[in-house]
Amino acid sequence: MRYHITHTTTYAYAEPVSLCQNVAHLAPRPCHRQRAEPPTLSITPDPAVIEDRVDFFGNPVCYFTVQEPHRELTVAVEHRVEVMPEPVPAHAPAWEEVRDRLPRDRSAVWMDAYQFAFDSRFVAADARYADYARGSFAPGRSILDAALDLMKRTHTDFVYDPRATTLATPVAEVFETRRGVCQDFAHLMLSCFRSLGLAARYVSGYLSTLPPPGKARAVGADATHAWVSLFCGDAGWIDLDPTNDTVPSDRHVLLAWGRDYEDVSPLKGVILGGGQHTVRVAVDVRPEDEGVS
Amino acid sequence: MLQRGRLLEFVLADLYGPQRLLREGLIPPELVYPNPGFLRPCHGIKVPGGHYLHLYAANLGRGADGQWRVIGDRTQAPSGAGYALENRIVMTRTLPEAFRDCRAHRLALFFQTFRDTLKAIAPRNRDNPRIVLLTPGPYNETYFEHAYLARYLGYTLVEGGDLTVRDNRVFLKVLGGLQQVDVIFRRLDDDFCDPLELRPDSFLGVPGLTHAVRTGNVTVANALGTGVLETPALAAFLPRLAKELLGEELRLESVPTWWCGDPGALRYVLDHLDALVLKPAFPAVRGEPIFPAELAAADRGVLAAQLRHQGREFVAQARLDLSTAPVLTGDRLEPRKMVLRAYLAADPAARSGFTVMPGGLTRVSAAPDAMVVSMQRGGGSKDTWVLAAGAAIDFSLLNTGARVELTRAGGDLPSRAADNLFWLGRYAERAEATTRLLRGVAVRLAERSGLADAPELPALLHTLSLQRDLPPAHAKETPESHVLRAVFDATHTGSLGSTVRSVQRLAGMVRDRISIDMWRALNGLADFPTEPSVYGDDGPTPADVLDLLNRTVITLAAFGGLAVESMTRGEGWRFLDLGRRLERALHMIALLDGSLTHPAAQEGPILDAILEVADSGMTYRRRYLGSLRAEAVIDLLVFDESNPRSLAAQLAALEDDVNHLPRPPRGAGRSPEQRFALAALSSVRMAEPEKLAAVTDGARLELKTVLDHVGGWLPILSDAITQQYLTHLQPSRHLAAPEPVRRTAAESGDRL
Repeated sequence: MRYHITHTTTYAYAEPVSLCQNVAHLAPRPCHRQRAEPPTLSITPDPAVIEDRVDFFGNPVCYFTVQEPHRELTVAVEHRVEVMPEPVPAHAPAWEEVRDRLPRDRSAVWMDAYQFAFDSRFVAADARYADYARGSFAPGRSILDAALDLMKRTHTDFVYDPRATTLATPVAEVFETRRGVCQDFAHLMLSCFRSLGLAARYVSGYLSTLPPPGKARAVGADATHAWVSLFCGDAGWIDLDPTNDTVPSDRHVLLAWGRDYEDVSPLKGVILGGGQHTVRVAVDVRPEDEGVS
Repeated sequence: MLQRGRLLEFVLADLYGPQRLLREGLIPPELVYPNPGFLRPCHGIKVPGGHYLHLYAANLGRGADGQWRVIGDRTQAPSGAGYALENRIVMTRTLPEAFRDCRAHRLALFFQTFRDTLKAIAPRNRDNPRIVLLTPGPYNETYFEHAYLARYLGYTLVEGGDLTVRDNRVFLKVLGGLQQVDVIFRRLDDDFCDPLELRPDSFLGVPGLTHAVRTGNVTVANALGTGVLETPALAAFLPRLAKELLGEELRLESVPTWWCGDPGALRYVLDHLDALVLKPAFPAVRGEPIFPAELAAADRGVLAAQLRHQGREFVAQARLDLSTAPVLTGDRLEPRKMVLRAYLAADPAARSGFTVMPGGLTRVSAAPDAMVVSMQRGGGSKDTWVLAAGAAIDFSLLNTGARVELTRAGGDLPSRAADNLFWLGRYAERAEATTRLLRGVAVRLAERSGLADAPELPALLHTLSLQRDLPPAHAKETPESHVLRAVFDATHTGSLGSTVRSVQRLAGMVRDRISIDMWRALNGLADFPTEPSVYGDDGPTPADVLDLLNRTVITLAAFGGLAVESMTRGEGWRFLDLGRRLERALHMIALLDGSLTHPAAQEGPILDAILEVADSGMTYRRRYLGSLRAEAVIDLLVFDESNPRSLAAQLAALEDDVNHLPRPPRGAGRSPEQRFALAALSSVRMAEPEKLAAVTDGARLELKTVLDHVGGWLPILSDAITQQYLTHLQPSRHLAAPEPVRRTAAESGDRL
């Protein structure tokens, strides 16, 4: 599936901002199941510095600064991405096998996976997550079956509620109140996996939404999305979207992955001045063959 | 030490580069991946000359076998080198003969090497790079040392807010604008250095600094990310690393160390708990060392269970029976456990890449049986002498033979320092003027037997009531009680006690900008009582209050006098003086307004009191002998620019100060602050002394007009100075993250 994606973030300030420094994870990461043309990034006012590099986790990242006084900052990015569906592997090893091999195997693939087995700022292992996860991770069970089951339970047990949490809400509270949004569910699943000693990463991206039957697709109604990816040993990394209880295929567009939200937040920045400010985000993920069929 | 420094450099270069040590099993990944000191944004950054560590310290302890061993490494921003230096300077001053006879090595060469190294790592401008010392600020417990080192090394002491990143370059905000910084010697922990890329909840650092380092436009010493080596677990792996990386045996042993994430090590630790001390694997997780031998049985059980489940978060070290040094307590010597902190400075000229400080900071425990040697726990420190084989090289950094470029510019005053000096000047003068007025009131209250005995008292009390900063008098309150509150009320920000504490606080913040004697003079304020109850249940007697006020006046006058005599007339002095002059002018206006604009029938005693409060009695008596005349007093206190207390003298000084401030090259004509200062000065110079003294309908209307006029200009002048020089001191903040995702396929009813 091919997509044309526009993603616009606008900050409006009550007072002028004299200096603004930013780090953006807004370019789709190339990987085996997706191809992307280089994105067009337009920033207003013109940034004085704009530099692309690759971060520690291999994601494209853009550093930019705006050094002239401004009352509004717009960061608009446009992508054309092709996403290939990927079959879910038929077999996967028992989860304990993966857990036990992670600390021992020094090959590149396993070492790379192992770094995602540890605590990070938003994800801390704890016995209560391990206990919850064990409802799915029975001894000897295939890591994939167990993970799919945990995803289904998470989807059933937790309520999607945008009013329940903010970015600062800790996983422990989400676990307690059983409410949250995609970031919360992703962090929760990461907490479960890592509490079992497994390696899992946070994935930031987009989700293409389908309009309700008979209605036109609402432009700009899409959103950035977040899901997780679990290392399943020789079966590789398997993506899991607990918000929708689904294994991402060709409707999920990958931007970046890291240990948690903090490593890959689409846009973060520090400003000098500004006073009160508001932020608006508009995302549109349009299938390129839309209207052609 | 040299070998250890060399080894640690290899380890850092690998962790922030190819990481083969992890793949080859020489360092467990469990000590790196979850290590808060491992800064992923710093991975792959090239460091000048391959040096990560420019100043490195190790804590050494000597056990019962006489062997010195490393207890811990300080790799990111080791403290204490400045204390070592200060100890040395004190010792050589108190025991000069002993020092000379023992032929101890001097420390200055070490610091000279360190200075040369910091010059050599500058990305540009190596002959004369701009180097700053970045401190977390006056609330940090080692701030004294930061200020001391900055002064000694000749670096500008800066806080994160003084620096800004533009065009991938770091600049210091100074009065004249922005000056590019080449090297940052930092005393901030790694992750605090950049709220954008490293630690979002820290604003002690400089947003964008990591990227500026990445682009090679500035060098940070030590390199960002070096804290990763501060895990005490690393010691367990150093012997093998030395063999693999250097092909050598580790020559300076560490205290025997076990990382409990290793099953074999964990078994040993569980079997020998009593002989060990346990520490968190990552020092960023602040935790006290645990001595299992001192724990109750139940707690030991909990600890053992913790070790079994979260072993990789713990490190065990053998308990070292530390050697002792004699310490003078009271009138006798007692043994105290000691730990030596030894230092290396990077030295590109040396074969090992480092030079050792011939000395160090020896810390001693607070009590003979203390298990931890720590200054935070009340321990002390000692100078440490390394004896020279031959004659010690006589060398002082304060008097090097190197040729210097003659200059008279102090230059580069950070705007923050200017702001602090301005307010130090204001508070010091406010404290002095308030003390003089309160003393004038208190002395008359103490002596009077009835109001008739002190006809000037109502005028002084009226002046007191015009001091808007002071706590106001309550209805029906006695003047005595009001004076006591004005002096002591700690809950009121304008009481004399509060003002005195503001003076001390501000002086602490600009300690590197004022002379040592000025700082010492202010020590006289340290025992200013925080509340009247320190004088006992009945509070202070009138004599106590007078004594306190007298001492305070003398301390503040000494401070003011030293400011005149011991500071060069640079930008810093100008701001201190601006603050003083503004405040003194405002107090003179309040004094004259309160006591002379509506004259009493019998004005003599009032004039006498005004001269006393204004510290101008001597001059007056010399000129006019016993004859007290209002026009003469007004001339002396308003117009006479040769009287350093007069209003006109303050205004003339303000105008002179403002004219000497750095000015952006922006067209001709006077700046706003120049115009306002001139307007205030002119309104006094243009007035006529005789007319000001004239009384019409019981009031000196002309005097009142001039005082109001000048009093109106001064706040405008103060605002203009702030606007021009101090406004860009605003804090940085994070952009709000976009709201959590509001829409998903689930919400729109779409199911996959």
